[in-house]
Amino acid sequence: MEHELIKARLNLYAVLKNLEELVKYDSEMAELSKNWNLSIQFLVRGGPKAYIEFEGGGCRVARGKHYAPSIKLFFLSPAHLNRMMDGKGNPIPLKGFTKIPFLTGDFAKLTDRLEYYLKPTEDRLKEKAYLELNTRFTLNTAAFALREIGELDPVGKQVASHIPDGAVLMKILPDGPAVNISFQDGQIAPGIGETSRPMACMFMKDIQVANDFLNAKIDAFTAIASGDVTIKGQIPMLDSLSLILDRIPMYLT
Amino acid sequence: METYQYPKSQELFKRAAGVIPCGIYGHYSPAPLVPATSYPFYTSRAEGARFWDVDGNEFIDYMCAYGPMVLGYNHPQIDKAAMDQIKKGNCTTGAPGVMVELAEYMVDLISGVDWVSFAKNGGDMTNYATMIARDATGRKKTIMIRGGYHGVSPWMQAPGHHGTMEDDSKNIIRVKWNNFADIERAVDENPDNIASFIATPYYVPAFEDNELPEDGYWKKVEALCRKKGIVLILDDIRHGFRLDMRGSHRYFGFEPDLICFCKAIANGYPISALMGTSALKESTARIFYTGSYWFQSEPMGAALATLKELKKIDGPKIMQETGKKLMDGLVDLAKTYGYDLKVSGIPSMPYLRITNDESLMLHQDWCAECTMRGAYFTSHHNWFISTAHEDKDIQKTLEIADEAFKAVKKKYGDRF
Repeated sequence: MEHELIKARLNLYAVLKNLEELVKYDSEMAELSKNWNLSIQFLVRGGPKAYIEFEGGGCRVARGKHYAPSIKLFFLSPAHLNRMMDGKGNPIPLKGFTKIPFLTGDFAKLTDRLEYYLKPTEDRLKEKAYLELNTRFTLNTAAFALREIGELDPVGKQVASHIPDGAVLMKILPDGPAVNISFQDGQIAPGIGETSRPMACMFMKDIQVANDFLNAKIDAFTAIASGDVTIKGQIPMLDSLSLILDRIPMYLT
Repeated sequence: METYQYPKSQELFKRAAGVIPCGIYGHYSPAPLVPATSYPFYTSRAEGARFWDVDGNEFIDYMCAYGPMVLGYNHPQIDKAAMDQIKKGNCTTGAPGVMVELAEYMVDLISGVDWVSFAKNGGDMTNYATMIARDATGRKKTIMIRGGYHGVSPWMQAPGHHGTMEDDSKNIIRVKWNNFADIERAVDENPDNIASFIATPYYVPAFEDNELPEDGYWKKVEALCRKKGIVLILDDIRHGFRLDMRGSHRYFGFEPDLICFCKAIANGYPISALMGTSALKESTARIFYTGSYWFQSEPMGAALATLKELKKIDGPKIMQETGKKLMDGLVDLAKTYGYDLKVSGIPSMPYLRITNDESLMLHQDWCAECTMRGAYFTSHHNWFISTAHEDKDIQKTLEIADEAFKAVKKKYGDRF
């Protein structure tokens, strides 16, 4: 049960979060969604709530309830949501019945595109544009998953409880993408982009190194020693963060 | 002053990474050296307080192989004692006679203990000590200090680390250092179920200031252990013979039941020792605990010679005086650049941190700049001083540190 709940939170708060950048960086998806003006509320009994809002060509994925969602999708349990995310189940629509064609049509194209970027193959990774987006989304997913694992997974929670206050910056050189994770009074707050005064930093030399590193194709110790990945600052924060991130595959494959 | 480059170290590392998991593992991993590329990875030779890397760069060594080097590398007297044993037969059927000689010497040397067992590494002995405590008390649980390091057995590692299971820590209770109430609470919450309390003489975490025991801390711990029948284990692996030749418990004035030694015991030859009181001798004898190389005569000969030499010259006093000289010089130098260099721990194994930047990045840069000029400084771990560090080494180190302060000042300006 706990496993399904964590997976559901990861799906809503970390995986779907990537829709925000998908419509920004994939020109086809930007074109597809540029005139969308609606919101989709996800409600999971005994689980997380989140909504996706499309407006003015942009997309926002947020925790909690939307004030006036166009569509409401209900799930009987976290496992129900997870089945849908795995393509093996359907939600129960509570509102927006007229928009069901949108969900099964254009919106499905968007989520299929996200799935395409999140499920790399060796061939796909040979394309520069694909590599860049896969890496960006993997980095974002890691940052946003960290909060969920650090708050709910029993071991992750224990590890997170010892992380001192401050922000961690993870950046792909030379110009990003970057994510930051802030730890403050036991709260974990991930964000996309840089942070001005990080307590610890991890710099990945380039997109290829970042992709290999984030997908565990090279081990962290070797990457650091060879200079492909540079760490500095409060290294114990990065050690703890790494222990939490290493638990993601227990929930998301 | 030119700064060092490490092409051969990197080249060797690349080869290593192909055939050795993570290239260089454990506490020798370059990962906590920040940035790793400012440090040498491989040594070609060493002498006295210095070593040379595979690129031919010369370093004054303030890590001393993370503690084992205490009298200087290639110490002729110690190496001869080791070689004498090798010539007689190093790893033979039947225990070597020198083992008894070493045992008698150590029982005389170390205060408050009656017997000794030998192994190879510190972790062999911390593990053994907890087993003895469990056998002697019939209890399950061990109290240790949160952030304390006693080796790499699963129970010693914090939860979440790879290769460990939650059950490995089931009988471990972690408490805060210098917080006696925390220990009392753990004991009260587990009546008649605490087998042992294990800690180092003072707190030596990585990346943090080291902390000496508060006044009366150890006496209170000792009294509680006696009252509750808890075995008091002193992990003197890192501190041993750098604070007091009679054991670090004499430095802080308390009496443990079991003491673990390693590192400085044999000037780099592989041996560890567990010492204890007569009350625990029978339990110790009952436990089957051994290793293929635990009866090697070579490190025993080296240990005997090392301990005798350290005692003769009062090694701990020399190392503390040398360490103080270096620390005073570095702190004064730092001030001239507007930096507050904080020294914690005992000067023979000091931990340093420039407090102007709490993220440690400024301090890491300074240590890296020193290393690239020939003073091997780590930024994450306490340093080690040996009796081989001479005034000329200290002088040279201060010159290097001055250059390094200039370099970081240039980089950061008045930001800190």
